[in-house]
Amino acid sequence: MFMYRNRLANLIIFMSTILASSFSWSIVNIGEDVELEGYVKAYNIMKNGASLFHDGELTHQRNTAQLEGKYYFLREGQAFNRFSAGPIDEATFTFLARAVYDSAYDIRDSYGVLNDRGKEEYKIREAFVDILMAPLSLRLGRQQVVWGETDNFRALDVINPLDRTWHGTRESWEDIRIPLWMARGIWDIGKIGSFDETFLEIILIPDDFQANKVATQYPRPWAFRGIGLQDEAANSVLIGNTLHDLNVTVIDGAPDERKFSNMQGGFRFKGIWNDIDFSINYFYGFSQTTGVKVRSAGLDNLGAFNTVVETVNPRINVFGVTASFSEDRYTQSVFRLESTITSGVPVSIAPGAPHRANPNGNSFDTARQSVVMFGIDRPTWIPALNSLRTFFISTQFFWRRYLDYNDYYRGSFYDVRPAVVNGSTVPNRFVSVNNDKVDQDEFVITFSASTTYGAAGLWKPLFVFAYDPRSTGAYNKIKMEYLYSKHLVFAAEQHLYWRVSGSDQGPWGLGSYLGESGIRRNETVFTATYQF
Amino acid sequence: MKKHPHSQLKCLVSRQCLIKTPFTWLVATLLCMPVLSQAGDGQSYQALRDWIDNSRPGIESASPGQHLKLKDRESTLEALIPQSAWKYYFFDDMDMSITASKDYPAPDDWGKNIAADYHLDEDGTLVGFTGGGFPFAEINADDPHAGEKVVWNMLWRPGANDYDMPMVTWLRGESGKLDRVMEYTSTNVTYARGDHSLVPGYEEVKSKQVMEFRSPRDMAGAKDMSIRYVDHHRENSGWLYMPAQRKPRRTLASERTGELMGMDMIREDSMGFGGKIYENNWTYLGKRKVLATINVSTNPEFGGPSQWVPHKARWEVRDSHVILVEPKADDHPYSYRVIFIDAETYWTHWMFAFDKKDDQLLRMNQHFLKYSEDFAKEPPEQAPYIKQDFTKSVGHQVFLHLGQVDINAKKPHATMTHCFTNKREFTAARAKQFYSLRNMISGRR
Repeated sequence: MFMYRNRLANLIIFMSTILASSFSWSIVNIGEDVELEGYVKAYNIMKNGASLFHDGELTHQRNTAQLEGKYYFLREGQAFNRFSAGPIDEATFTFLARAVYDSAYDIRDSYGVLNDRGKEEYKIREAFVDILMAPLSLRLGRQQVVWGETDNFRALDVINPLDRTWHGTRESWEDIRIPLWMARGIWDIGKIGSFDETFLEIILIPDDFQANKVATQYPRPWAFRGIGLQDEAANSVLIGNTLHDLNVTVIDGAPDERKFSNMQGGFRFKGIWNDIDFSINYFYGFSQTTGVKVRSAGLDNLGAFNTVVETVNPRINVFGVTASFSEDRYTQSVFRLESTITSGVPVSIAPGAPHRANPNGNSFDTARQSVVMFGIDRPTWIPALNSLRTFFISTQFFWRRYLDYNDYYRGSFYDVRPAVVNGSTVPNRFVSVNNDKVDQDEFVITFSASTTYGAAGLWKPLFVFAYDPRSTGAYNKIKMEYLYSKHLVFAAEQHLYWRVSGSDQGPWGLGSYLGESGIRRNETVFTATYQF
Repeated sequence: MKKHPHSQLKCLVSRQCLIKTPFTWLVATLLCMPVLSQAGDGQSYQALRDWIDNSRPGIESASPGQHLKLKDRESTLEALIPQSAWKYYFFDDMDMSITASKDYPAPDDWGKNIAADYHLDEDGTLVGFTGGGFPFAEINADDPHAGEKVVWNMLWRPGANDYDMPMVTWLRGESGKLDRVMEYTSTNVTYARGDHSLVPGYEEVKSKQVMEFRSPRDMAGAKDMSIRYVDHHRENSGWLYMPAQRKPRRTLASERTGELMGMDMIREDSMGFGGKIYENNWTYLGKRKVLATINVSTNPEFGGPSQWVPHKARWEVRDSHVILVEPKADDHPYSYRVIFIDAETYWTHWMFAFDKKDDQLLRMNQHFLKYSEDFAKEPPEQAPYIKQDFTKSVGHQVFLHLGQVDINAKKPHATMTHCFTNKREFTAARAKQFYSLRNMISGRR
């Protein structure tokens, strides 16, 4: 009885704290050492067809509750306000938990076939301890580590994989990075010769490898189903004029995390030289993009085409440098630069490629890839549009190049289509074709502009534009956020995919094919957030 | 026939034309209304200059112990509150508690460790000065560089740095409509200490500051670090850590004229003037006595019809240097800025900035201070989210900034801030670690 009452008392105390917070603007404090904050968000996405607002259908009704907490258990050398902590100056424990329920799964009958896959998520996403022993600091636990100067494209920001299952990469990456168990240590060095503010950072991921997550089940709204039929899978192979049944066996070849030799890790040396921020980075890990090796393929005695494939995540070596520089006199801009060379990038090789292009005969290779990103940030006055505040304009030019390129490299935009034999479509038989030839050089340009309006800056518009000059595919996002009250934030946004000409998909997931029938990813989004 | 340039204006005011073009008249009236209304409030640059020039020595005083109310407006208050502020500071139940003007001694070693070899260059920039005291102990009104010298003293005043400053900021519209409240903490340290740097090897650094937002949640964890350099020509350095990005971003420190985070101030308005001396022309306008909240008992409550201004606070009549600042840049939002800086302590009391478009008041700020030696017997208010030991401030003999009011007269809108400032002495090792780029690569989340 006593225990029961005690629990009830705890619950009341907790709820009182939450309720009390509704009358203040601040983080919820429990005692002097624990802080809680978070939000509850209702996120509704309607996808539209190629013509805006036509054929709208609700795809997501993602309701998220996120709770973030920090426990200051060691301050100024004293642990738990009692014990001397020796050389440790400060320590905190941080956690971030997320619960998601997508009610679209209960509204849409068509989602029934998904067996609730993607409907719910309950996770302690991050949980780590920070320990400060100047000049050393440690962060131990499940966490995100972000390197590099690039926004929303992967070059050095490859330590945590991405969960692209529910909305591709269109969300804030903070919310879709998959936190990993790792140790992050930093030695604050300071000045060395002409280098200032230097530090050395080492990360170690002993046994937590995860690949990028991509949904493939139809009708999940952001399932990756290539560019052809979205609701059918290939079940046949056409050899000559004969159609054969297709049987695919997949072997999971992901690295065994338990092996000591499968550890991942890296280092970063960062500092300032002549007002230029720079870093030198190295990461030794596994590719989070999964490749496919064909182990065997051929017709059996019954005339079926059997293939055994193994999914693989090869070892990668990522070497990179970054720099940023604030040029205040002539351009009043901040220039950002990031460049990497990565070995071990998995690529597919077209069926029927000659031996020189497919020496292992498994339609799989690893390539070396370089990336150069050049970006400019500029607070810019446009008095005609806003006389009180600047627009923050940020633009990036991103160039990726396959250093060991061959003409038979294929991308991932396969095309499932009805099987046609001798000019006739065969009912219920589908073949997969991959004509997505990879270009040696890939480019994308991004531009974003944001500012605030209203006396207190409560209206926050955002404009985003991404353009692939080779495929001419483009993407626009237009968003308006309104800070309605101390707790309530509303947002409306529109995502649009379009192209200037041609039909090349390009490598980035841009272009009008994403607005067309079947795929349809032009989206209208409404969000209501209660924050505390 | 060439049309007379003023014919349109004449047309607007001629009776015939008014009848013919009622719509034009209506539009013109509506367009002019805000300007006329503000002009009627005596908030033009010229009105402030007239107020400065027409001092009334006979009544520029107030008796200690007196409570000044609206009835004292003409007899006392109008002579002691700069005219541009009257519209906000005079209201029905106003109550200003007057205390005797005092001397506030600077730290004992103030001025004893100054490097000897420094000077003003041709654009008014102080060269070779590394702190430890006021660069210009005497201000001569006839000195053509008196304006710059007063502001240099303000920029190097004692107590300008070395504190923990938890803050709460309220953003209010007219009638007191509360739009937003923000909580954040600034921590600041002086590196340049006259004959030495706090952290040996960092002699080029004047001061460093880290500011972190705590609430609301959409801003919580945003963290900014800025470095100011002894060499005034060298632009400040800045980094911003945004939790959503989980990495720091280099910021452009030279953009100082845009409003920040919805607040009614621009970066250049900080403490009256937080920009670059060489980007402005300077004129010394002499001294004026003004009422100032130089040593408040605690963080003042806010009053007035819009709850924009300190109410029931303790005021003191202070001799202030009056400085006129004219930005050189054509695209600067201000035509003139007038700053009232305390003649003894060199802390800013009042700042008024006028719109380049019409020379009417655009922004103003007014500051609340408290002398550290009064912290023991009369401690200021504690921040709502952290308790501090204010006795740490005692003995430093400096002022601590307890807050300010920033008003944008054109919106109109105001930002009121309470600072719960407490002195903090950093060791060299701790400063080096805390104010480092390393500390900016991760944050609250």
